Amino acid sequence: MESFFTRYRNLIVLLAILMVQIVGLAVQVRRTPEGRSSIGERDSAGVRLVRLWADSLVTPPEQLFHSAGQGVLWLWNDYTDLRHTREQNRELQETVARLRLEQAAMLEDAEQGERLQAMLGFQEKYIYTTLPAQAIGSSGSLQSRLFYINKGSNAGLKPDMAVITAEGIVGKIRDAFPATAQVLMVNDQTSGAGVILATTRIRGILTGNASGQLEIVGILADERIQPGERVLTAGGDLIFPRGLPVGTVEKVVRDPVRDGFIEVMVKPDAHLDRLDEVLVITDTQPRFSQQDQQDIATSQAVMGDEAQTIKDQLKASEIMAEHLPGLIDPNLPPDQQPLHDNSNPNPVAHPPQALHPDRFTPESGSDAIRNGDQDNVGHATPSATAKPKENSGTGSGKPAGATPANPRRNP
Amino acid sequence: MAVLGVASHHELEIRRYPALVYALVPLAALVLQAWLPHVVGRYAWFDFPLVVTVYFALGRRSPIQGTIMGAIMGIFEDALTHYPIGINGIAKTAVGFLAASVGVRVAVENHTVRLVLNFLLSLLSSALVVFIYRFLLGLDLQWEWMGEAFRAIGNSLIAMVLFPFLDRLQVRD
Repeated sequence: MESFFTRYRNLIVLLAILMVQIVGLAVQVRRTPEGRSSIGERDSAGVRLVRLWADSLVTPPEQLFHSAGQGVLWLWNDYTDLRHTREQNRELQETVARLRLEQAAMLEDAEQGERLQAMLGFQEKYIYTTLPAQAIGSSGSLQSRLFYINKGSNAGLKPDMAVITAEGIVGKIRDAFPATAQVLMVNDQTSGAGVILATTRIRGILTGNASGQLEIVGILADERIQPGERVLTAGGDLIFPRGLPVGTVEKVVRDPVRDGFIEVMVKPDAHLDRLDEVLVITDTQPRFSQQDQQDIATSQAVMGDEAQTIKDQLKASEIMAEHLPGLIDPNLPPDQQPLHDNSNPNPVAHPPQALHPDRFTPESGSDAIRNGDQDNVGHATPSATAKPKENSGTGSGKPAGATPANPRRNP
Repeated sequence: MAVLGVASHHELEIRRYPALVYALVPLAALVLQAWLPHVVGRYAWFDFPLVVTVYFALGRRSPIQGTIMGAIMGIFEDALTHYPIGINGIAKTAVGFLAASVGVRVAVENHTVRLVLNFLLSLLSSALVVFIYRFLLGLDLQWEWMGEAFRAIGNSLIAMVLFPFLDRLQVRD
């Protein structure tokens, strides 16, 4: 027996190690009710411990490499940036002032939109609490599109938090270790995110293929989908909030497995190959965050100052207008007043002349005024109408007192 | 000493290294494997843990040590991914065992032999990984063989540079 083990010890050790690993694999992979194999979303305690060991072993030197590289890069960037700092600072201040005004203008639209959405019963989530983090390393495997960030559970990160950049979505947190976290990218084959095409409003599931390209699967063939259409998150996966940019439709191909279905290849907005700084959405709040409220208050204050300035300018223009020649010049006769200027491109419209003038016809009133019959006009009462003066005849032969009185024309 | 010919076990030199080399070189390989893809992006056509496994297995000429080295490297590599632990472990265990078995029988000091061995063992490792994914675990994953071929070439090139450097670290009598 001893000679057997001595002779075949290499093979026995090999088989023993292989067997242990095969059993370990069998424990980790689960069967779905449909009979397919799948990787569990969460690791068991033992597997997670091994991953934690590997992470603890690899991440510190990795961070050292990353920091050293960043240090050299920053040193060089600082040197080059300092050469134009003053000019850039001035330009940035101008930009900040302009953007605040624009933000204040957009704030009203946002508030109106919020009110309308509230009326429709939506609880829109479009303001988020984010935590910036740096990508420090990868999984090292072509099949596993996963990377590590330098923030972990100590910073409040939890699994299934969305990870984004300013350009678009990146992935979600798969597991959070104390000082680091694993981010599963959206272009991994096991990843999935609900998306919607911006124009056609067609929904699908975003995932990755073997070469790391993004594709939307589970869509019925539709001729409306054209390259160039924007792709946004649909918000139904409970990970990515609705409306975040994902990418642009690159091309549409037939699904090789299912007839009648297509795969939409998507060019991602975020640079998934070269990720450096990312934002982790730690909380989706239905209202503005404290920081946003401060920014909005600042914007409103700026807007208030701007409004006051505009008001002052209007007041000054009114004062100026009083001192400038007006529409009524007291030194000119009535027919030469600027109001009666024929050069006015918008002349005042006069009513047509009456075919059968009566006592209510404006002409008679005008004649009365023109003839200086101030008494009849000024005191046009039923009694006055009953006792017309004889010398107050008009061209029309009507009693002047019959003209309806206009109290405004009383001197 | 024969280059490609079969030699007896006693004719072949068994290399020895300081204990620190056994600890730091595999660690450096794991760290580089995790860090460099972050820098070079999609062009990460290399597998440092595999190259180091092959190197120590060939140098030590001990199938058991090669097996254990491959298993440890593969398991740690798996632990950094989100896939089950043991896929790369099994592949590199087999690669370590085979490399050491070849090293027992063949003199591998020649650079061409090392290069060819690295290329073939890299392809074998990829084939084993695919086999485990698809047939052992039944996972429906697509595969890009061109990337695996590029990776095998990359490993061979790295081996050409790394092996002479690591040769200098061995303990000489």
